[in-house]
Amino acid sequence: MTTPEVLPAAVIVPPETVERGLKRWYHDYTVMVRWHLASLRMWLVTMTIVQLLSGVGFVLGISLFFVHIPTSAALFVSTGVPVVNLLIVGMVLGPQLVANQRTNGSYDYLRSMPVTRSVTAAAWYTVCLIGGLPAMVVALAVAKLRYDLPLHVSPMIVPAVLLTSFAGTMLGYALGHAIANPMATRLITQLLVFVVFGFAPVLFPVSQMPRWLGTLNWWLPFRHMAVVTRAALTPGGHAAVISAYIVLAVWTIVCAALAGRALGRRA
Amino acid sequence: MTVTGVAGRRPRHVPQSELRSGTRYWVASLVSMMRFDYCRVRQWMPMMILIQTMTGAGMALLYGFFYPHVTEMRALYITTGAPTLALIPLGFVMVPGTVADQKLEGTFDYIWSLPSPRSAQAASAFLLYTLIALPGSVLALVVAAWRYDVHLSISPLLVPAVVLCALMATTVGYGMALAISNPVVTNVVANALMFVVLLFSPIVFPASQLPAWLAEVHYVLPFYNMAVVIRAGLTSGVVANVATSFAVLAAWTVAGCAATAWVVGRRR
Repeated sequence: MTTPEVLPAAVIVPPETVERGLKRWYHDYTVMVRWHLASLRMWLVTMTIVQLLSGVGFVLGISLFFVHIPTSAALFVSTGVPVVNLLIVGMVLGPQLVANQRTNGSYDYLRSMPVTRSVTAAAWYTVCLIGGLPAMVVALAVAKLRYDLPLHVSPMIVPAVLLTSFAGTMLGYALGHAIANPMATRLITQLLVFVVFGFAPVLFPVSQMPRWLGTLNWWLPFRHMAVVTRAALTPGGHAAVISAYIVLAVWTIVCAALAGRALGRRA
Repeated sequence: MTVTGVAGRRPRHVPQSELRSGTRYWVASLVSMMRFDYCRVRQWMPMMILIQTMTGAGMALLYGFFYPHVTEMRALYITTGAPTLALIPLGFVMVPGTVADQKLEGTFDYIWSLPSPRSAQAASAFLLYTLIALPGSVLALVVAAWRYDVHLSISPLLVPAVVLCALMATTVGYGMALAISNPVVTNVVANALMFVVLLFSPIVFPASQLPAWLAEVHYVLPFYNMAVVIRAGLTSGVVANVATSFAVLAAWTVAGCAATAWVVGRRR
């Protein structure tokens, strides 16, 4: 039996080595995903319902703008709404959640967890994907039923969705962690919603906006997200897909680097 | 000489011998409450006007992108809908948000403790927000008219139309935020309202494009009627039944005032 004098010292001895490796990473990752899913269960459920309603609402509501909605307009909106759904979770609601966590103090607690930055980011990405996918699928199904669209889902939908969501989540991550003021985060993300809905060619063809705005959008990620997702959902060849993937990949790398930097900075 | 205490000193709190009341006192209270409210919102007022102009003008531009061809009629509808688009976020999102914040901060407890009639306090808030709402909606109209290059025929009717719309949006937003006790619920209602209004309301397109039942709902709700009266002041021969729309808006204003009066009039 150990003596009472020895016990406290034995308890606080740190492990001899820091645990590393793929197995450890995977373990941390599953724990963090479970952590997020459990702590955000109410938020996730509410958000999914709101996303479902807004996605379906947008698909149905757009027909009111026209006396007879042209098939091309319906197709553009229906294939753009999934992009909006994926983006809203990671790029808008994510930073707002971080802003709230900063206000109520749980942010510092989460940052004190003994997991690497890549685990934190990967777990958050998974949660955003889980939050965005149901609304995306339902909105597409409703669009198909309502407008009888010639949709054709190709296997390219997998990389398109993964990359779109990843770029959006990393952008939101960089915003949420780099901007210290919660009020500023809320303002910027609300501005981003406005941009994605109306000033980026996501829900309508680029030819319907002024040329300079279209050119400006070539440098932003949203147009390319719509291109790759739309290419995977509709039949026929798409010219700009490869360049869209390249631009999107560059944005993803830059945003991930920014997010990593913002996460790694000591408070 | 005034009443003196037992020890020969003047008591500190002498209650007033009579309650102050009457129109003159009410107007004086209104003026001081407006000064008080103005000083409180002064620092973020330019921001509020800027956001409002940007949302109004931004939405007017944004709606145009959704059409393959913006015909002359569509352009006219979008342009004349711009002031309404600028007023709705202010009245139905910003005002309830401010009221919700004030509730959390306990501002109302303080304001209601001031020695001025509560009706004057509410009237001051209504007037102030209505005044703040006007520049943004005019600017939104200017931007939209410049973008779509439409010919407007402005009539004197525009002034009462915009003022009534601004007053209606303010009173209804204020009354709603006061009547709903939980600020979180207010926030959800405001945002849901925004989405429904911007997508499913005949503000930038004719009501005839809606299914019949939805159009009938909108004849009673304020949003369509706001667009009608403002459009009537900017065009000739495009809209009909303007008097009905004015009446509906007036009824909503009264309802907003009544909701406010109901909450404000109760003692706590």
